Amino acid sequence: MTESYELAVIGGGPAGMEAAVTAAESGVKTALIDNFPDLGGQYYKPLPESFKVKGKTKTEKEADVLVGMVKGLPVTQVRDALVWGIFPDEKHGGWLVALYGPDVPKKIHAQMVVLATGAYDTPVAFPGWTLPGVLTAGATLTLAKTQRVVPGRRALVVGTGPLLLSVAAHLIDAGVEVPAVCEASKPLGKAIPYIFTALGQWGRIEEGAKYISKMVAKGVPYKMGWTIVEARGVDRVEEAVIARLDAGYQPVEGSEQTLAVDTVVAGFHLIPNTGLARLIGCQFEYQLEKGGWVPVRDETLQSSLPGVYIAGDGAGIGGAELARLEGRMAGLAVAVQSGHLTHDQAGSVYARLKPQLAQQRRYARMLGALFTPQPGLSALASDDTLICRCEEITLGEVKAAVAAGARTIGEVKMVTRTGMGNCQGRMCEHGVTNAIVAALAAEKATHQQVGFYSIRPPLHPLPVEVLADAAEDAD
Amino acid sequence: MRIDHSSSLLPEVTRGKKIQIVVDGNSLDAYEGETVAAAMIAAGIWKFRLTRNHKHPRGVYCGMGICYECLVRVDGVDNVRACMTPVVDGMKVETCKEVEL
Repeated sequence: MTESYELAVIGGGPAGMEAAVTAAESGVKTALIDNFPDLGGQYYKPLPESFKVKGKTKTEKEADVLVGMVKGLPVTQVRDALVWGIFPDEKHGGWLVALYGPDVPKKIHAQMVVLATGAYDTPVAFPGWTLPGVLTAGATLTLAKTQRVVPGRRALVVGTGPLLLSVAAHLIDAGVEVPAVCEASKPLGKAIPYIFTALGQWGRIEEGAKYISKMVAKGVPYKMGWTIVEARGVDRVEEAVIARLDAGYQPVEGSEQTLAVDTVVAGFHLIPNTGLARLIGCQFEYQLEKGGWVPVRDETLQSSLPGVYIAGDGAGIGGAELARLEGRMAGLAVAVQSGHLTHDQAGSVYARLKPQLAQQRRYARMLGALFTPQPGLSALASDDTLICRCEEITLGEVKAAVAAGARTIGEVKMVTRTGMGNCQGRMCEHGVTNAIVAALAAEKATHQQVGFYSIRPPLHPLPVEVLADAAEDAD
Repeated sequence: MRIDHSSSLLPEVTRGKKIQIVVDGNSLDAYEGETVAAAMIAAGIWKFRLTRNHKHPRGVYCGMGICYECLVRVDGVDNVRACMTPVVDGMKVETCKEVEL
């Protein structure tokens, strides 16, 4: 018997927890599903239950409050559960959410869903980026915060965005030597139009200042307009080459410096994790400064599919504060749509949320304008750089496919196999798309024309017996 | 390396129970609550797998279960994401198994 809910929230980070809490407070029968053993997601990064910590950071305390609220409500938590597909329930309406995990049902039914699937580091390809010892900003912070492990002794931090400061500060506190932080963007000049937006963000400025003071104390240079051009080594990173970037984000010849490091942390801002929304057929639009392809939503955060809401970074990069507000907004909308709240009852909450949302969206726009990895950075890869890590396809092969007539990412995929590996294109779509657009510059090709990978279930590789089992069920 | 001192951003933790895992025949210390990836990285192991075509080494990249670079064999089961798998006492991990997923 398939357990049935009014709402399934997918993703237990800031947006998902808020959505579940807001809906359940109004009486909506809610399931909250997350891929990890503990709630919190990639922003809160919860410590494992068996680790005991003496002091907690501000963010960890915030997470405790939110998790406590979830626990205090009749929300069914489905943790350690991978959502590998969502299917329309032809018989009963609503959706069937397909799950895989050690101790979870095979599927649950929900009338409505909130997708709160978050984001991941934009994978930017450069020569040597597949070497062990090159890892993302997210991976580095997860290791440090949730495992109290550091990836190496001497780490170069490269990319773009405020996360780089956080990574550097955490590494420094952990005793890792950081020879430089290379920020590809030159945010100071670009920030001027947004100066009043930033003034509303004292908490964040304070946090950033704390990170910078740790860098200053150790004499770590923050090199704006610099990035990595190559990571070198045999079985792991042994050295990295950095260079200054010109206005078009191309490395300036002769500016290169070589640093002996055993680790390269690459964090080129974030892109939304949109696999589930694509898989069920939500409409998308291209907005570079929100992280690329983002789902179209109405004011209540409902996607183009009725009853499917999308909240947080998975709908466009905006940070944890915006994600929390969007989660509340989506939870509220679900409570209204399922008849637990009247429009009048929701109206007063909505009136309070609206100005807060507007403020956080202004901040999100500033972050996007300052730190979105610019398409020029795609030129860091050379023709023999792997652009699809799974299928080992080089940039040169992608260019050759375009030269032979491929015009969309789907056509390039068919010719070269990019995006057909284990990661389902999550790691290469950004690079392949930019490569096609760049190769077709003469034709003025756009991201809209090139498109995105179509996503089909299973969203993640699964043991064959799980799929066979699911197919039997469907018969 | 494990972080063994307290700082303002990373306050001191008491790890879970000390256990042992076996990686490619060698016993490693690990602590309950750790992932296989963290225990391996703490021990300085970075080569998790070899790629199918070029036999290039790969290690942890995304650390959140979406890139499938850190695949290892765990207790005879192939293609397990080390970054998503908690350690269990006596667990046998094998690296560099080139198995089609």
